[in-house]
Amino acid sequence: MAENKKATYINIEPELRDILIEEGAGDAYKCYTCGKCASICPWFEVGTYKFPVFRFSNETLMGIIASSEDKDVLTAEIDRIYRCVGCEACVEQCPLGVRTPDILRAARRLLVEASSYPETLKSIVQKINNVGNPQGEPRERRGEWAKTVGVEIFTPAMDILYNPCCLPAYDSRAQAVARATTGLLKKAGIRFGILGEAESCCGEAIRQVGAEKTFQQVAKANIAAYIQAGVNRIVFTSPHCFTTFKNEYIELGGNFETVHITQLLADMIVSGKIKPLRPFEKKVVYHDPCTLGRQNDVYEEPRAVLGGVPGLELLEVDEFSRGLSVCCGAGSGGLWMDWHKGERIVDVRLDQLLATGAEAIAVACPYCLQMFEETLKARNSDVPVMDVAEILAQSVL
Amino acid sequence: MNKIGVFVCHCGRNIAGTIDIDKVVEAIGKYPGVAHCEDYTYMCSDPGQNLIKSKIKEKSLDSIVVAACSHSLHELTFRKAVQESGINPYLVEIANIREQCSWTHSDQEKATEKAIKIVRSIIEKARLNQSLIPVEVPVTRKALVIGGGVAGIQAALDIADAGYKVVIVERQPSIGGHMAQISETFPTLDCSQCILTPKMVQAAQHPNIELRVYSEIEDIRGSIGNYQAKIRTKASYIDNQKCTGCGLCSTKCPIKVGSEFDEHMGNRKAIFTSFPQAVPNRPVIDSEHCTYFLKGGKCRVCQTICPTQAVDFDQTDAVIEDTFGAIIVATGYELYPRTKLLEYGGEQYADVITGLQFERLLSASGPTEGSVKRPSDGKVPMRIAFISCAGSRDPEHHMQYCSKFCCMYALKHALLYKERVPDGEAVVYTIDVRAGGKDYEEFYIRAKEEQVICLRGKPGRIIKDGDKLMVWSSDTNSGRPVRISFDMVVLALAAVSSSGSGELAQKMKIPINAQGFFSEAHPKLRPVESLVAGFYLAGCCQGPKDIPETVSQASAAASKVVAMFNQEVLYGDPMVAFVDEDLCSGCKICITTCPYNAREFDENKNIVRVNEALCQQCGCCIAACPSNAAQQKNYTDDQLLKMMEAALGGE
Repeated sequence: MAENKKATYINIEPELRDILIEEGAGDAYKCYTCGKCASICPWFEVGTYKFPVFRFSNETLMGIIASSEDKDVLTAEIDRIYRCVGCEACVEQCPLGVRTPDILRAARRLLVEASSYPETLKSIVQKINNVGNPQGEPRERRGEWAKTVGVEIFTPAMDILYNPCCLPAYDSRAQAVARATTGLLKKAGIRFGILGEAESCCGEAIRQVGAEKTFQQVAKANIAAYIQAGVNRIVFTSPHCFTTFKNEYIELGGNFETVHITQLLADMIVSGKIKPLRPFEKKVVYHDPCTLGRQNDVYEEPRAVLGGVPGLELLEVDEFSRGLSVCCGAGSGGLWMDWHKGERIVDVRLDQLLATGAEAIAVACPYCLQMFEETLKARNSDVPVMDVAEILAQSVL
Repeated sequence: MNKIGVFVCHCGRNIAGTIDIDKVVEAIGKYPGVAHCEDYTYMCSDPGQNLIKSKIKEKSLDSIVVAACSHSLHELTFRKAVQESGINPYLVEIANIREQCSWTHSDQEKATEKAIKIVRSIIEKARLNQSLIPVEVPVTRKALVIGGGVAGIQAALDIADAGYKVVIVERQPSIGGHMAQISETFPTLDCSQCILTPKMVQAAQHPNIELRVYSEIEDIRGSIGNYQAKIRTKASYIDNQKCTGCGLCSTKCPIKVGSEFDEHMGNRKAIFTSFPQAVPNRPVIDSEHCTYFLKGGKCRVCQTICPTQAVDFDQTDAVIEDTFGAIIVATGYELYPRTKLLEYGGEQYADVITGLQFERLLSASGPTEGSVKRPSDGKVPMRIAFISCAGSRDPEHHMQYCSKFCCMYALKHALLYKERVPDGEAVVYTIDVRAGGKDYEEFYIRAKEEQVICLRGKPGRIIKDGDKLMVWSSDTNSGRPVRISFDMVVLALAAVSSSGSGELAQKMKIPINAQGFFSEAHPKLRPVESLVAGFYLAGCCQGPKDIPETVSQASAAASKVVAMFNQEVLYGDPMVAFVDEDLCSGCKICITTCPYNAREFDENKNIVRVNEALCQQCGCCIAACPSNAAQQKNYTDDQLLKMMEAALGGE
């Protein structure tokens, strides 16, 4: 006679609940599980993968997130918790303002503490901890790219500090963005410099991954370095660095004036400091990066810059632009996660972008750039992906 | 020398939970002039009141301070209690140590200290209080009802049946309101118009009711018993005496515009009656679209064809003034604007419609004569989504509250659709089905038995899908993504306060809440009265409610009005302004300052006098008077200064 499996029941675990709340999952109390979050979560767009986001609130309140003693169940749950790309599409639409990414981040903090999180992310956290960048490149080479284009190390006499993000600092494709950006800043007569090896990764991604301790260390070191260098005003290429300095460093004592490069470029065009004259004869679709748009309400400036380029026809993803934009999949550690083919958010977004008939895709975030470009290469597509600054540079320089 | 009695209430744990009552009693017992101080669990209870009465006798107390809750809650209770012991009711004072102290603080020591100071300051006021006699106010026994929907009609009929005159002011050309637009009503599914139109006719024919349609309130002044209202009736360009309501004019008018009554699902002419059963059955000319007004006197077809020469292009707005003893506000609701729901496409999809639009499609007298056809191409939709909570229960973006009747009407819509299109598929998207009401749960079950699908999940997007609409949601029960293609989507939009409610509230000086609904005097015990005496509330203007609830509230408001009209005379608060004749220099500043015309000049004595029936105790004259001659009874400058000294002074 076959032996019956022992039935398992869900119970309430108040201790785990209290820890999760302590780690920032307090919004779980607001949720009335209407499921609107899940209906617009980009994970609902891919294949048959089920990602019922709305369940995390109740699971938090019952204290049953990532608590299974069954190894397979736990593995599946960790996989689920690390799906979230922090795009905040759900936050934007939630009737009650529940910040589900924060709930998941609380769970991730516990997993990181227990060292039970994906290996790829562990290595990223370690690299940022050791050398200050996710690529694991030597710290001293951080400012190397700048020498080739004559960009100097920041001094307090300069107007503004340029923070190029870790990606352009080491990655040759992303360096093109940094070069275009610095070319435009020079053309406008802005006195700027970089921090070079004194700075580290802003830590946004690892904070979302749940490595709060490492984030705190990196962030505090950055703040000290920026203050020591006499920095007041910073312009960013990456919306991720931008939002971290703007919204998160404040609570750690870093109070800087922050501006995203698209905002500065739009200003420079309006004030006549740069004049886009050379035509860029292409249909261009602009992809709203989640971190720039939904999280920081910068929707119009990138469009104003592109709209100011002669010959450029600006396209929109009908029904999925601005606050309703869909993530490229790179946020909150997603850049380094390797999901199965057919389960990648980036494909969903690329299909939407290409369906507009665009001849080029404009982005304003190095993560989006890398995600789109690599995926298009794999698809053998020749549609170029360009940063807004690169397109403008082609018209101005 | 006064003998003041102070009675400290625990209010269960409400006060005693935070404030050290013994300490308060001890401190107050020693305060100058206090002849007795005692505490009790519930001072407002019968034993509590009897305690006060017995101590008045025992210790010959001559004024009383009750340290308890707010004035609005129990001042009257205690005034009545002491009156029975032979003390003038205006020698009772309330020291509010609940709302203004125990409820707002958690630190016991500091809260107790504050409570003592509050009580001391009120004792100082009580010390100088005078015995007062209520002011007699005459009553005009005629009611004004603002809004001619089912709430206004019911309230007017009840007051009129009791023998008093009523004027109904309605903004639209006909009375009837939203109920006239509705096809069938839940849970009985009886025809809305069939039950409403007899009431409309009854109101029109009632000898005590005067209808003022196409009219709005311009101004309201005065106070309970005597409100002066200015009512503007818009020019309809029709001589209602000559017009027979034959409707010939509308048939020949060449201009077609979207019909407001049909929620733009159908058209009307520039000269039109809102709907066939309109009351009064008189057309109006919409001067914004009529050719005569747009093209300088051209067209005139209606004027030529009218058999009774009733069209009068020279008519102008008429403004009348009248006095009313009581006013019932019954201004109803409207739907939250669809344009604000960007995730559902705003207004860009023709086949996403509102609940009221669907009512017009279902209505036998509607633009499709009751057959369900979608607006874009007139095809019969084979699959319809009904989305509830569209704009409700969403404090982040829209309205925080539950609009209460949408669950039921969404189910009703689904059921009626299934009846019209038996092969059709009806999906109702819900968060929670709120079917709390008599026979409502049974109706919900019936809808499910008729194969209406109730899907638990709030849709996140509506996306165009060819000539269909794709609704994105999740099924929260299974945790799976749901994407269903529909021919049409009906939004159960939030019910919001009618446009113009804010302005009206301002004109009437009555409060509205944060959501724009008129505030009742007490959420539980005075739900049909406004905080301003003489104003009553009925229907959705006070918050979303369904028809039975609306009608109940309307009848309740009417009974309040009738009870008031039945009184010989009204008594007003005597804490009115007065003039110290020795100090008044006759400068008349107070006359210009008084918002209620309650002050007049005495030429013989060269001083100002107060009309006590008109005074609303606002205090403007007191602030304006340069010689301190203007004072308010039992709120004199002396009293206020002494109160402040006690409140600010240390041990």
